[in-house]
Amino acid sequence: MTAQSSRFILICSGKGGVGKTTLTANLGIALARLGATTAVLDADFGLRNLDLLLGLENRIVYTAQEVLAGSCRLEQALVKHKQEPNLALLPAGNPRMLEWLKPEDMRQIATMVGEQFEYVLIDAPAGIEGGFRNAMAAATEAIVVTTPEVSAVRDADRVIGLLNSEGVKPIQLVLNRVRPKMMASQEMLAVDDVTDILALPLLGLVQEDEQVIVSTNRGEPLTLGDSGSPAARAYTNVARRLRGEAVPLIDPSKERQGLRARIGRLMQTKIF
Amino acid sequence: MVLRPQWPGAPAWLLLPLPGGEATAAELVERAVDAAHLLDGAPVPANLALVAGEWQLGVRALRALVDRLAARGIRLTALWSADPRSRVAAAAVGLQSYSPGPEDLASGREASHREPGSQELCLQRGTLRSGDHLEAEGSVLVLGDVNPGARVSAGGHVLVWGRLRGIAHAGCHGDARARIVALQLRPLQLRIAGAVARGPDDSPAAGMAEQASLVDGTIRLDPAPPIWPLERTPDSPGHSGLEPAGRGFGPNLPRPQAQP
Repeated sequence: MTAQSSRFILICSGKGGVGKTTLTANLGIALARLGATTAVLDADFGLRNLDLLLGLENRIVYTAQEVLAGSCRLEQALVKHKQEPNLALLPAGNPRMLEWLKPEDMRQIATMVGEQFEYVLIDAPAGIEGGFRNAMAAATEAIVVTTPEVSAVRDADRVIGLLNSEGVKPIQLVLNRVRPKMMASQEMLAVDDVTDILALPLLGLVQEDEQVIVSTNRGEPLTLGDSGSPAARAYTNVARRLRGEAVPLIDPSKERQGLRARIGRLMQTKIF
Repeated sequence: MVLRPQWPGAPAWLLLPLPGGEATAAELVERAVDAAHLLDGAPVPANLALVAGEWQLGVRALRALVDRLAARGIRLTALWSADPRSRVAAAAVGLQSYSPGPEDLASGREASHREPGSQELCLQRGTLRSGDHLEAEGSVLVLGDVNPGARVSAGGHVLVWGRLRGIAHAGCHGDARARIVALQLRPLQLRIAGAVARGPDDSPAAGMAEQASLVDGTIRLDPAPPIWPLERTPDSPGHSGLEPAGRGFGPNLPRPQAQP
């Protein structure tokens, strides 16, 4: 695998708690299951969670910090996923070592990882300060995650401005934690409202799903199993679109809400 | 070249040579600071305003510059640039940003002393996003949206070929004739000269460009007249009829309320 063909994708949002890390974990697994070698780089090492979500917390021995310092090889620091051998995790650093990382370090480590993997997903920290700037330095494209809330959209807008000024593109949008019923009754920002302001191509719509919480606590991303939960399907579709497949995007708030449609959906999930 | 401050506490001016050589802006600035120190032995003042002319400085370059100067105990406070993107970037890293005219470069005069309306149009291509702040001495034309959280201030008119959903300040040096025109006027806040108004709660009818102007000390919205007198302000000779024509649209349209 050559460095030219690998993609360095930053996953960011500005606001915290909108689902950056969850998307990174699920997208990583989904891409790996689609056959692409994928590395997830946890740039949010101050509050490092990606290892938890992937269930790899107890396997971390080294971090990117040791690799750059020359005290271990990259292969030693990369943590291979238990079930999905195509996926590896690289924590950028130790939570106690906040100050050491610089944008150049991030670029260097990403280049090293890019020599072995087709996809390098970089999980950015919340905010727009140093940590985010470090994470951004290594990226050549970005996925902005937001939820249909005014504050999340505002922060995403700010982040997109920063990405633009750093020349990171393309930038695509994932709208997370969508509640179709609230959207249909106009209690929540509609999909159009969000895309209207942010003016980005929509890469995916992920419904609010209780299974996400369960999977987070278990350390098994939803895309790992064949649960068929709405969020798992959405994450897999994001991965397929990222790979260039034309998967149609359905606005859940515009889906039929009638009894027949509901029974139809129910039967689909039971039978298939 | 470093110009010493003319009165205590004012920033020193640093004039960058024209871009073209190999050196980056940060290197040139450092060289100039070193040279100034060698020349007269006096320490370089703590505050520095950079006159960058045609240099295109992104957020990354400006941040590097701020950091390198900070390491020498110098605080960069302002950027004068002829490049609108550089001014937006400067605002993003927390610098005052100004667009210079040649006479300002020579004399280091304050921006507010200049005659409003005498400036040329500043063109901004692309949407201004939350946190961006575009400032210009003359009028501004934004080809794109002004998103919520973004700000445009201009000594002259603010023209938006797109949706204005942020904050716009026209006539920010006190020109009460300045107007704000947008294809869609849905601002958080409008300011013309010294007047402030919240955006309208109900949306005006779609499909027409709208303008905000100052009438008797309050900001009002009207459909924009089909001919925009860009160089010709309403009370310049031969075009005095435009202001009453605008007023004629008035009665049925929503008025933004003045802020308490």
